[in-house]
Amino acid sequence: MTEIALEVKKLDFYYSGEVHALKNINLPVYKNTVTALIGPSGCGKTTLLRCFNRMHDLYPGNRYNGEIIFKGKNILSKDIDLIDLRSRIGMVFQKPTPFPMSIFDNIAYGLKLRGIKGRTELSERVEKALRHAALWDEVKDKLNESAYALSGGQQQRLVIARALAVEPEVLLFDEPTSALDPISTAKIEELAVRLKEDVTVIIVTHNMQQAARISDWTGFLMLGELIEFDKTDKIFTNPSQKLTEDYITGRFG
Amino acid sequence: MPLLFKKNPVDIFFSVITALAALSVVVFIAGILYILIRESSLSIERFGVFNFIFSTDWDPVRESFGAATNLFGTAVTTFLSLLFAIPVAVGIAIFVTEIAPNFLKGPIGVAIELLAAIPSIIYGMWGLFTLAPIMSEYIEPALQASLGKVPVLGILFEGTPMGIDLLTASVILSIMIIPFTASISRDAFNLTPAVVKESAYALGATRWEVVKNVVIPYSRLGIFGGVVLSLGRALGETMAVAFVLGNNHQITSSLLDAAATITVTLANEFTEADTDLYLSSLFYLALILFVLSFITLAIAKIFLLRAERRS
Repeated sequence: MTEIALEVKKLDFYYSGEVHALKNINLPVYKNTVTALIGPSGCGKTTLLRCFNRMHDLYPGNRYNGEIIFKGKNILSKDIDLIDLRSRIGMVFQKPTPFPMSIFDNIAYGLKLRGIKGRTELSERVEKALRHAALWDEVKDKLNESAYALSGGQQQRLVIARALAVEPEVLLFDEPTSALDPISTAKIEELAVRLKEDVTVIIVTHNMQQAARISDWTGFLMLGELIEFDKTDKIFTNPSQKLTEDYITGRFG
Repeated sequence: MPLLFKKNPVDIFFSVITALAALSVVVFIAGILYILIRESSLSIERFGVFNFIFSTDWDPVRESFGAATNLFGTAVTTFLSLLFAIPVAVGIAIFVTEIAPNFLKGPIGVAIELLAAIPSIIYGMWGLFTLAPIMSEYIEPALQASLGKVPVLGILFEGTPMGIDLLTASVILSIMIIPFTASISRDAFNLTPAVVKESAYALGATRWEVVKNVVIPYSRLGIFGGVVLSLGRALGETMAVAFVLGNNHQITSSLLDAAATITVTLANEFTEADTDLYLSSLFYLALILFVLSFITLAIAKIFLLRAERRS
């Protein structure tokens, strides 16, 4: 078995007002694999994803119980440096979220936050990140133009490049293709698969075919509980739980 | 106007009534503009446009009038009040939208709106009886002792600190427009999509970095619109400055001197205007203020519309 990158242990999560959104989640995330989280709307898959980079801390009243072990430490503990954590565990959102600045500055942003100022180093790492996200050839002549000038699919790859630039160990994708056309979607999927050479990928998706196509492991959640977690082949061909089978065969959800 | 052709008589009646209500606004604006032009025509013929705007004369005895001293007072108080108000207002907006815990957001928002609801005459009274003595006894002497010693900059703080001057008027004016600018900036900040802010946090940005690099650039147009709107308000504000500006027609290099703005001149001098030309010149001033306010409002609207459309 490969190395474990993140391990979720007995995780409970409450939104402010004591809404019990995740119940006793236990799950390993293996290094250099793609793990998909699937389930019907409101099942808690995005909530779980947002635990990994402590995004819930931005809003008051949210509460975690249990542990997520990353590099031997519980990242849910109070004394974790969130800025450091978020530079190791990056995130890509549903809609492309370029910042109101140039393409170059978008990619360089995370690097600058980390105090990298040298012009040559910045250019090198921006180029590297853009190549990594398969966007370099399309934007190399207009690095100083506004990121808003790019198409939706390009913007999403730009955002991925921005996350990659700081060289994270884990990349979280929250339904990254739900706002994109099929061609752009295919490009992002290709990219996600290729990325696992360097990073561990966790992807939340509504689209079961997408999960089947790109992931190695799949977790199926319902009503805040992890119903089943297994190799993707197993989940989609021979699930052990009746609920999983009902969901992937389209009987509900 | 398809509604007007509907057959139902109630509909027709309703359409006509609302159309008239809407039309009345246009009629009022046109009517006011017409009266201002008609009443000021005597002065326009006598002094022309450029002569009037650039003449520093304001001499009812010799019947020689010019707008320059009034424009000077208006420009200086408006500029200074924006200079004082914008940083505070943007600070309030940042605190309310990005930093304050939820239970504080509501009360602070209400406090800002209450500040905006205080009638300006009350600001004026407070300025005269409270702020002016404080300015003349403590703040202005302190400014003279510090900045007043700096070469060049010192020119701004010459003279006897009386408290009734450009500086005090600008401070009052800035307190008046702070709630205004703050609430528009807050609305502009709120237009920044949460997910864009989140993605900056997800890259490991701190609150300050998110505000500086994402929220403010994203809301630039909206903030600018708000600033221009506040500028329009400062231009036209009368009562708050009338008490503390001294109504002295002069162009002065020191902020500790009395001066006059267009609005203050109008408020003070209509009762004294004993000749047709004097009266007409006051109307001419009003016409200039009307045009200035109209232009600033139009600019502000354009920017605010663009800001909304972009998000």
